[in-house]
Amino acid sequence: MRTVMAGVLAGAFMAVGLGTAAHGACGKVTIAEMSWASAGVAAHIQDIILGQGYGCQSELVPGNTVPTVTSMTEKSEPDIAPEIWLNSAREPIEKAVAEGRLKVAGEILSDGGEEGWFVPAYVVKQNPELKTLQAVLERPDLFPDKEEPGKGRFYTCPSGWACQIINANLYKAYGLEEKFTLFDPGSGEGLAAAIAKAYEREEPIFAYYWAPTSVLGRYPMVKLGGMTHDPKSWKCVTDKDCADPKPNQYPKSVAYTVVTSGFAKSAPEAFRFVSSFSWPNKLVNALLAWKDDNQATGRETAEYFLKNHEAVWTAWVTADVAAKVKAGL
Amino acid sequence: MVSWLWDFPTLDEGALRALKKSFDSGYRVFSRNYGDAIEGGFDPLLHFLVWFERLLLNAPWWLVIVVVAGLCLGASRSVRLTVGVVAAFFVIGFLGMWEDTMRTLAIIFVSTLIAIAIGIPLGIAMSRSDRVQAIITPVLDVMQTMPSFVYLIPVVMLFGLGKIPGLIAVVIYAVPPVIRLTNLGIRLVDEEVLEAAHAFGAGRWQLLFGVQLPLALPNVMAGINQTIMMALAMVVIASMIGVKGLGEPVLRAVNNQYFALGLFNGAAVVTLAIVFDRITQSYGRRIQEKRRTT
Repeated sequence: MRTVMAGVLAGAFMAVGLGTAAHGACGKVTIAEMSWASAGVAAHIQDIILGQGYGCQSELVPGNTVPTVTSMTEKSEPDIAPEIWLNSAREPIEKAVAEGRLKVAGEILSDGGEEGWFVPAYVVKQNPELKTLQAVLERPDLFPDKEEPGKGRFYTCPSGWACQIINANLYKAYGLEEKFTLFDPGSGEGLAAAIAKAYEREEPIFAYYWAPTSVLGRYPMVKLGGMTHDPKSWKCVTDKDCADPKPNQYPKSVAYTVVTSGFAKSAPEAFRFVSSFSWPNKLVNALLAWKDDNQATGRETAEYFLKNHEAVWTAWVTADVAAKVKAGL
Repeated sequence: MVSWLWDFPTLDEGALRALKKSFDSGYRVFSRNYGDAIEGGFDPLLHFLVWFERLLLNAPWWLVIVVVAGLCLGASRSVRLTVGVVAAFFVIGFLGMWEDTMRTLAIIFVSTLIAIAIGIPLGIAMSRSDRVQAIITPVLDVMQTMPSFVYLIPVVMLFGLGKIPGLIAVVIYAVPPVIRLTNLGIRLVDEEVLEAAHAFGAGRWQLLFGVQLPLALPNVMAGINQTIMMALAMVVIASMIGVKGLGEPVLRAVNNQYFALGLFNGAAVVTLAIVFDRITQSYGRRIQEKRRTT
């Protein structure tokens, strides 16, 4: 009797032990919610699926490419950065991956991302020649900077974004200095608001932007030609101390989901899901447009996605996880 | 079960969204129709700001220092303070922050002028009528506590990025102290003094400009001092909507973890604050002392 009892007790303990082990296999997971919308929605989707499907105690923390990668490398926090554009942090990521601190989980944007210098579609419609950078450079008067009379204004990236360095070098390389000011919008919100303002009044604007974004979804813009990518001189263009930048163009970008090696090791199943998370630009644009049109939060957009695009996300997870997530919706 | 007992009765998701959407499309229509006119109305101010900034940037550095030192000496009559201010400006210039400091100085100066031009008349109006005070006080509370990005993005939709939205943001945040303290200062003037002035036949305006305002001046000066301090605190926020100046490198430093850059430029903002603070405070103190001796 005693032995039976002991056996039962031991079994019960083992079951409890196993239970916590299976639960603890994921444990606390922090996900970087980047300041741009596509990455933010992805973070919320991962938050929901990891929380409900894998029993993780997932939590979102605010993030931005360079600070987040630095923090992940140095302090292993946060665990997941859903959308890191490799161009924006190639060196630190390659170094951290080589040192075994970070792991590239998968390519989140299956089509890759697009970066470049844009003008609104209506500007090109009125001035069909303004499709190339060279033509735009001839018309600083169309894009006036009221604070620097006589010059045009080129809206670059806010500080802290890697594209600010690249834009500053290209600005030099293409000889914009004489005719255009390199205008720091101060924040991503500021840049988006400036483009929205221009569109509401059909004013010309000359700005850096990127896809997939709701801004380019809502406000059709034309990416300027006359700029070609040259891999050889590109490295210098991305360096803030580049002495003599040469003309270049943003390559089609790869955007990865990057995780800490600690997370990949301690939660292999969750890691497998994060690795298979990948979606096409068309879907992301549509989601972001829905988000804007409905003034939805990242959370609401994530829920909308889970409810309406089941076929997409159920392919990322196993059937039982999918069932748990569906039950939680 | 009665669910509203346990769950807070909220507007359902769809209705809430419709409400928010109608607000926004309303604002968009407003900005589309009146944006150009409003933006045009602010153009003279922008020209003045650009002109003033150019003036500071193009003036030889020593002339700027001489003028600042002259102002400082004139206001405070303190050689020690003046020497300190000059030394601080030398350090700022030596560390390569002269240009950004001049830009910040320009926008702070202009926004302080605007804040005074708006604030003192409003403060006087408040002091004369309890009803006006009851209306303005909550508005000031909102201005001081509303997170600035809430009104910044709509302002950007009207004016675009740059100095004017920055100026508006700074003035909204910085104007309350001068209004509050002007009001308080006038209300604190002794009833008996007023009666005496009245007995000598002083009219309403004579009373205001001859008795109330001069007696309230130390408080008004304290309000202006606080307004300048708050304007300086907005420098970094303003740089987030494209205002150039010391806020820009601070933002760059914060975003890139350049600690030294952040510290230097932050210290330059502090230096400007101390300079303004000491000058206005010692001026206020001098007015008070003069009164005591006469």
